[in-house]
Amino acid sequence: MWRRLVSSHFKSLTALSPSSHSRSASPALRFAAAAAAAPSSASFINRHVSTQSGGKVKLRVEDVMPIATGHEREEIQADLEGRNILEINHPEGPFGTKEAPAIVKSVYDRRIVGCPGGEGEDEHDVVWFWLEKGKPYECPVCSQCFKLEVVGAGGDPYEHGHH
Amino acid sequence: MYMHSFQGGATLLSLGLLFILYTMFVWWRDVLRESTLEGHHTKVVQLGPRYGSIPFIVSEVMFLFAFFRASSHSSLAPTVEIGGIWPPKGIEVLDPREIPFLNTPILLSSGAAVTWAHHAILAGKEKRAVYALVATVSLALVFTGFQGMEYYQAPFTISDSIYGSTFFLATGFHGFHVIIGTLFLIICGIRQYLGHLTKEHHVGFEAAAWYWHFVDVVRLFLFVSIYWWGGI
Repeated sequence: MWRRLVSSHFKSLTALSPSSHSRSASPALRFAAAAAAAPSSASFINRHVSTQSGGKVKLRVEDVMPIATGHEREEIQADLEGRNILEINHPEGPFGTKEAPAIVKSVYDRRIVGCPGGEGEDEHDVVWFWLEKGKPYECPVCSQCFKLEVVGAGGDPYEHGHH
Repeated sequence: MYMHSFQGGATLLSLGLLFILYTMFVWWRDVLRESTLEGHHTKVVQLGPRYGSIPFIVSEVMFLFAFFRASSHSSLAPTVEIGGIWPPKGIEVLDPREIPFLNTPILLSSGAAVTWAHHAILAGKEKRAVYALVATVSLALVFTGFQGMEYYQAPFTISDSIYGSTFFLATGFHGFHVIIGTLFLIICGIRQYLGHLTKEHHVGFEAAAWYWHFVDVVRLFLFVSIYWWGGI
């Protein structure tokens, strides 16, 4: 339970700061975020229904939790498809350069990102910045390059915050 | 204000209580709307109330611990004013082998019933879960009824020396927590009947069950320290 507490704490920490923790062993991977925090709650559904022929039937959300709605339904749907909807908070990849910038995914058109620097000796205190769509950013300390990839609805994160 | 018989004190107190109850009602109604009806409580969000219930219950334990401490403070070294003995001279204590000895297993059984309800929910047996919760609440109401009757018939009152004070405060606040727990469980029963609770997601029920087990454990401590030992 404590690991889950830690990992969920990590998750909330890295929700806006995907590049803040990097402890990957391989020198090539450099902006792995919260790698130790395995998404423990991700695949909470691992049931399959067997048909007569022994094959596996694809489960729908209705089979798991019929009354699910809204974000909860999205989460169950993603889990049944094998996706983790929070994975965009844990980006991984090699050190970002101008030719091959580190890609950070985002639901909106801009997002807060933190750069911890390169591997081992090249680490520095986390530098925080807004990464905006269409404006690749270079870390002022280590020059790691970042680029935003919008995977969601887009728009400003602070607009439409009311229901 | 009310306690000191000021004019309007009773009105102020009643209004205050009414507003608190109203606030609780609309607050938790909104939580149910946001979670069950709008689907905002994803797995990550559920961790909040889940892990938050634990410090809340711990804080309740701290609260009741104070009353246990008050009781032992006075009972372990009884002062000369009460006769240097415990129970104090002249106090006719309740026989622990009578109603208290019946009520303790009643509450324990209702704890077992709430576990039954939990297993039913996890197994997807929705109707049985409702029956189990009905059993839990019925036992709780019987418990409360017996306690009330005992309070009414007790040969001593809260103003009868430090014994009365510590007895009624400890058992009284425990009883208050039983009533709150019962209310929580009734609401869980209604929600289960309406189909809100699923085997994947029933944080509210789990919080109620934890609270109920806590109430149960406190009762055990009460029985041993106040009813039984306190009367020897």
